Amino acid sequence: MFAVERINILKSYLRERGKLDVHSMSELLSVSEVTVRRDLEKLESEGFLTRMHGGAIIKGDDEAGAAPDPGPEFAKEEEDREEIARVAFLMVEDDDVLMLTNGPIAFRLARKLAGRANVTVLTNDIQVALEVAGQAGNHAVLLGGSPDPESRALFGSLAQANVQAFFVNKIFVEVDGIGEQLQLTVSSQEKAALIKEALACAEDKIVLCEASRFARNAFFRLGPLSLARKVVTNTSVPEAFKARIFAMDIQLFTSVNAFEGGD
Amino acid sequence: MGDRGTAREAAPLLALRSLSKFFSDDFALRDVSLELRAGEVHVLVGQNGSGKSALMKAICGIFRRDGGDILLDGESVDFASVNEARLAGVVMQHQNAQLFDNLSVAENVFFGRVPRRQLGARTLDKYKLHEDCERLFTRLGIAISPEDLVSRLGYTQRLVVSAAQTCVAVAKAVVFDEPTAGMADPEREILFKIVREIRDRGVGIFYISHKLDEIGKIADRVTVLHGGRIAASLPDGSVGREDLIRMMTGGTCTERYPRLRVEYGPQVLSVEHLRSGSVLQDVSFTLRKGEVLGITGLMGSGRTRLANCLFGQARPSGGLVRVDGVRAEFRHPSEALRRGIALIPEDRDNNASFHNQDIVQNISVAALDRFLGSYGLDTRYMEELTDEYISSLGILPGHPSDIMRSYSGGNQQKVVVARWFMSLCKIFIMDEPTRGIDAAARIDIYNAMNDLVTKGASIILISSDIEEILGMCDRILVLAGGRIACDLPRSEATSEKILDYASA
Repeated sequence: MFAVERINILKSYLRERGKLDVHSMSELLSVSEVTVRRDLEKLESEGFLTRMHGGAIIKGDDEAGAAPDPGPEFAKEEEDREEIARVAFLMVEDDDVLMLTNGPIAFRLARKLAGRANVTVLTNDIQVALEVAGQAGNHAVLLGGSPDPESRALFGSLAQANVQAFFVNKIFVEVDGIGEQLQLTVSSQEKAALIKEALACAEDKIVLCEASRFARNAFFRLGPLSLARKVVTNTSVPEAFKARIFAMDIQLFTSVNAFEGGD
Repeated sequence: MGDRGTAREAAPLLALRSLSKFFSDDFALRDVSLELRAGEVHVLVGQNGSGKSALMKAICGIFRRDGGDILLDGESVDFASVNEARLAGVVMQHQNAQLFDNLSVAENVFFGRVPRRQLGARTLDKYKLHEDCERLFTRLGIAISPEDLVSRLGYTQRLVVSAAQTCVAVAKAVVFDEPTAGMADPEREILFKIVREIRDRGVGIFYISHKLDEIGKIADRVTVLHGGRIAASLPDGSVGREDLIRMMTGGTCTERYPRLRVEYGPQVLSVEHLRSGSVLQDVSFTLRKGEVLGITGLMGSGRTRLANCLFGQARPSGGLVRVDGVRAEFRHPSEALRRGIALIPEDRDNNASFHNQDIVQNISVAALDRFLGSYGLDTRYMEELTDEYISSLGILPGHPSDIMRSYSGGNQQKVVVARWFMSLCKIFIMDEPTRGIDAAARIDIYNAMNDLVTKGASIILISSDIEEILGMCDRILVLAGGRIACDLPRSEATSEKILDYASA
């Protein structure tokens, strides 16, 4: 089959169903998954679809073809976040009581929580709260406070006071930078203050940070990495960080996603 | 005992003063001060990586020290080579017997000290040589013919011959590095005789051991090393086995191992009463889907033989192996592979790397049938898939056309791991997967293990690093003398317990 035919089939499939996954497409078209992925990549560059982990979804009708190309940097960032959320999700068990501080990885993690039962999520992120509240069997608790329109989250003294009323067994803290000296940084003072308060009310402390944000500092200092017991990031994190974190007796999880076998 | 008591009071034969040697952030000898007297057996104990062998190598001229001093008979020495140390009377007896295969037993034992005939200056007096050797062997109770070629000897016989060399060598100090690893009781008795004989001649002996029961048999003094430092140095008999084990383990860090736990599925492998030669006596265990099973034990406990039996590389002499409930008798690794079993071998250099091939070939070699189409090998798919593995396992520098031998040990190991990933196996036997590789590569291997179990594969992790076993495994088997000494869930396992069972 020629590439043109394949691409037409993929397009019409997407128009009908809105989404597809790479695995079933490779079986349907009798081509390798790598080939399907490459086709999807081409269609994405044309603005026809958005690639997700393991598949793709069609862009809105009015957007298709018209949306500005977000560029490969953006796609990579999205993929990195999705991968971190995937590993973080594997740390969550049924009946857990979690705190998720606001951020794009937290939202992706929240979406996956539909795969667990009876999870309670405490958060300052409005989108996270709405997502979890819509999941059958899971519960969301949104902290009070002053809304920040840009991050769509709540901060301030009320949020900080609210947090103290809870105790969670796992906290996922999304940070904006991990510097050379392994100091955690975030983009606003209010966020730093809230996270500090929240860390004191949690048992298992887990930091989420994309590999591209290592060796970079955001504006406000949160404290040393040793505030947490675990860090989740991407495999591409620089080797020097891997060695240093291991030597500090902190668990470093990287989003290795290589094995194709299994179920 | 009387004359040995006086030997203890004498000035030390060998004295280490604040010796230091840096290897890496993880491993260094730090401020080690230690003495060895003439006519004493000084036993060194400690976990793997505690610095025992490194310390001895610093004494024998294999490593140069960074700081501190070594005094031999009160004179400062700094040997540049093993040979220089030997000429000064400091001899190292290695773990692996180093013998000349094409010479006879007697020639090996008396190497460098062979008797010559009076007439004809350069001729070897074979008659006298064999007679001397025969006399020595009778005294020690060694039942090997002096005239045999060394190439005909078995592994333990070679160890014995190698140890017997020390009875002939002229030495002031001898270092034995785990001399009884891989030996059965009769050979051990011979070795003790050798040690006692040279001790009674006034030689000072450093003796590295993992078997704590040996301390009571031969030690005059015991030193415990932990993390490159001396944890304690004590006269024999002043300390119990439990205290020793506690000192050996120090404070272990098991918190830094990233480990994701998953719910187990059904049983995927069962091993019943497996035997192989004299190495494996009776081994039974089961493995479930999603489980990481740790196997540890001393050198010679049968760990590697067990791995080879499960992978079809060694033949069991008895017992039953079932994969997914179906009986499995592998005559060749390819049969094990077909049933979804992979082995990442201990000796990566000789058994797993194609040094002169590129990364694509090294990774795809066990999965070629995945790329086989009606037009032959789909090399483009092969290269693209390889590229995916390179980036997802963080293999560096990671160009598909790189040649394997140009890679660091850690990255070579990741390439080997990627190979078995690509072959879509379900049971991964990893034999010392992180030995000798840097911390960054270790992190990648541990996370790759998580990737496997969360997607339904199972792992048997064989390791002599107890910290790693405790950090990564759900259940821990300790092998000792070819048998399972214990089968502990992670929640009940401690490094003390493991060491206790392993050295029983």
